[in-house]
Amino acid sequence: MTDDARRPTYGSGWIGLRFSRIRGGRPRGPRAGEEKWAWLFIGPAVVGLVLLSAAPIVATFAISLTHWDLLTAPDPAGFDNYTKLLNDPRFLTAFRNTAFYTIVSVPLGMALSLGLALALNQAISGISWIRTMYFLPIVTSTIAIGLVWSWIYSPSSGLLNQLLGAFGVPPQRWVADPFWAMPAIIGMSVWQGLPANTIIFLAGLQAIPSSYYDAASVDGAGRWARLRYVTLPLLTPSLFFTGLLSLIGSVQVFDQVFVLANPGKPTSATITMVYFIYEAGFRNFKMGYASAASWILFLIVAVLTFIYFRSQNRWVHYQ
Amino acid sequence: MGTFKRSPRTPLPGATMAVIALIAAACGGSATGSPAVSAAGSASASVSAPSGSPSGSADTGYSGPPASLEYSIWGDPAEIKNQQAVVEAFTAANPTIKVNVTVSDWEPYWDKLQTGLAGGAAPDVFAMDGPLGPDYQTRDVLLDLTPYIQGESYDLGQLDANAVKDFTTADGAQFGLPRDLNVIALYYNKTMFDAASIAYPDGTWDWAKLVEVAKQLTKDTNGDGTPDQWGVYTETTDMENAWSSFVWQAGGDILSADGTKSALDTDQAAQGIQFLQDLIWKDKVSPDPAIFAETGDAFEQGKAAMEINGSWLVATHEAAGLQFGIAPLPKGPASQATSVNPTGAVVYKGTKSPDAAWALVKYLASPVAQEKIMALKASVPVNKQILSTTYASAFDGAQVFADALGYAHLKPSFKGYNDFNTTLQTELDENVFNAPNKTAKEAIAAVNPQLNQILADNQ
Repeated sequence: MTDDARRPTYGSGWIGLRFSRIRGGRPRGPRAGEEKWAWLFIGPAVVGLVLLSAAPIVATFAISLTHWDLLTAPDPAGFDNYTKLLNDPRFLTAFRNTAFYTIVSVPLGMALSLGLALALNQAISGISWIRTMYFLPIVTSTIAIGLVWSWIYSPSSGLLNQLLGAFGVPPQRWVADPFWAMPAIIGMSVWQGLPANTIIFLAGLQAIPSSYYDAASVDGAGRWARLRYVTLPLLTPSLFFTGLLSLIGSVQVFDQVFVLANPGKPTSATITMVYFIYEAGFRNFKMGYASAASWILFLIVAVLTFIYFRSQNRWVHYQ
Repeated sequence: MGTFKRSPRTPLPGATMAVIALIAAACGGSATGSPAVSAAGSASASVSAPSGSPSGSADTGYSGPPASLEYSIWGDPAEIKNQQAVVEAFTAANPTIKVNVTVSDWEPYWDKLQTGLAGGAAPDVFAMDGPLGPDYQTRDVLLDLTPYIQGESYDLGQLDANAVKDFTTADGAQFGLPRDLNVIALYYNKTMFDAASIAYPDGTWDWAKLVEVAKQLTKDTNGDGTPDQWGVYTETTDMENAWSSFVWQAGGDILSADGTKSALDTDQAAQGIQFLQDLIWKDKVSPDPAIFAETGDAFEQGKAAMEINGSWLVATHEAAGLQFGIAPLPKGPASQATSVNPTGAVVYKGTKSPDAAWALVKYLASPVAQEKIMALKASVPVNKQILSTTYASAFDGAQVFADALGYAHLKPSFKGYNDFNTTLQTELDENVFNAPNKTAKEAIAAVNPQLNQILADNQ
């Protein structure tokens, strides 16, 4: 087989289900019989997605073209909800906050978890205990985490202010301060998201054959050069994957805001798009409006994902 | 319990998360959110009639076929226990009716209710917060109880008139009955007043007196520049806890008389809201809201000499071991005023057992049930017979709440309330109370057009 045939081609077309063909090309890769099996295996997931995701997405679009309060009959509204949204200061604020959250938290979270994975990828005794310790946030609920972090951020007696106070930094109001509120939430989210990414990076690191490092060392590569020219290129599939999940997850941020930022009542410094959707639909009886906002969010996620997938040919190296 | 007054700082948004997970999943991608959030925050308890209970009671008058009801409420554990005791007494008196009490936290309560109503599977009887009533009354999901009231000549006059208003529409339909009341008053810490040799607050106090005494009682004992004892504490995040009362005391109002416009753009309304900002940022006798945002009630922690807040706190303050008293709110420049906000029980239009549901709703407002509600000290009874007899001796200060009903204003209640309140309170929190970026007047001017638009959209 050629290199070309072994390279997975998902993503060179649209996001999903393309096992054997690249656009316009002759059949390649797994044989037709294998493709049938592939469909069989993903069948249950596809059925679930169609029923539980695709159908609601279509329904949501229909609802977004109405004024609907959930309880009485909907009135057709055309694109009224969409025009209103684009002029709604609260929605635009939610959009800005979500963008800020994404732009800061995704790179920061990935850099930190990569560093953590490199640090944890050591053959020292007791490493599995240390790893377990770092993975604890993943099995803790956001509610519990939010409660603990709200104590950390407490303006009067919080740990963070006490810590900074030891260095002479005056106490900050963190979540209550419009300037610090979003960074505070990002801090908690990044910490909470670390283990999920770290696990994937660790798996990626351990899949790199040690012979590559040996070869690089023989060629005179130092620590940094091995990281730069061996580890990072071979880790790009993991980077791509975690980047995608972080991106989608952060655009949809909700629960961290819900529990940390003045619970149930985020201010305009912390309201996010998904919170806006929740508030419009389930608090203010505006399901059509909420659906339209969901669709705008959906389009944003779709476009970002598409661009991200298109970029992978340029920087992702499969072994 | 009421809207945001007990600021929902420990929500367990189980159902919320489930619903959002659906929406989020529909928005293209695997959410990397919290996998561990399950359907927390909800529980179910079954209360069935004890077998062989004595004869059915005449005062509920239920003589229909055996029925089974679901009664949904929100609340804290003590309140839930109390409601269950009331329901047990009801089923003991009406052995043919079974009642299943389901409870939720505040946030998931409304999520579940709305999806239940939309899906035609709502509880037969459910608790309703006064201000949110019109949003349901106008959407054809509640049972009009007028036929029962007229058929039995039920006397609505036995219940507090303001509270009844929240469950009556302009057309005279009666959607449910009030169950209990939340009233605002002034709590004071006797120990701190005694230590400073200051006379306890009473009905003669006005705003100036409140500020004067609060200044005397604000103390920085360790000299770090931040008071360790505050003069007066309140919650700023909802109009009910303090600032709506200030607006009324200054002669202003929240809405115009016909309910179609915001009435906040008057000097009187601005003066009321400004008073709260001044307590925090000018007189500095009330803490910056951020300080107690995480730890909760400063008065309960013994860090404030007075608290302007609701009747729901009596049991909490007793449990905290405070020596405290209750006084009327100080009079404002225009008048004496406070806020009253009822919680009621309403009936789902699609219930299979409307007669039994009415019997339960009626029972909840009856003297015998009201005495049980009163015993918890967390809610003011709505039944006048109890208010004028046993309630006054329920605890020291109960009379203050009972008297306050005479000059209390009903917390605003209208269609679109939550949208209005969120928009308004966001502006006030950010620019008036949490930081003095704007005067009350400037903040109102900034947000008033939006408020009027919300009211217009909901006409």
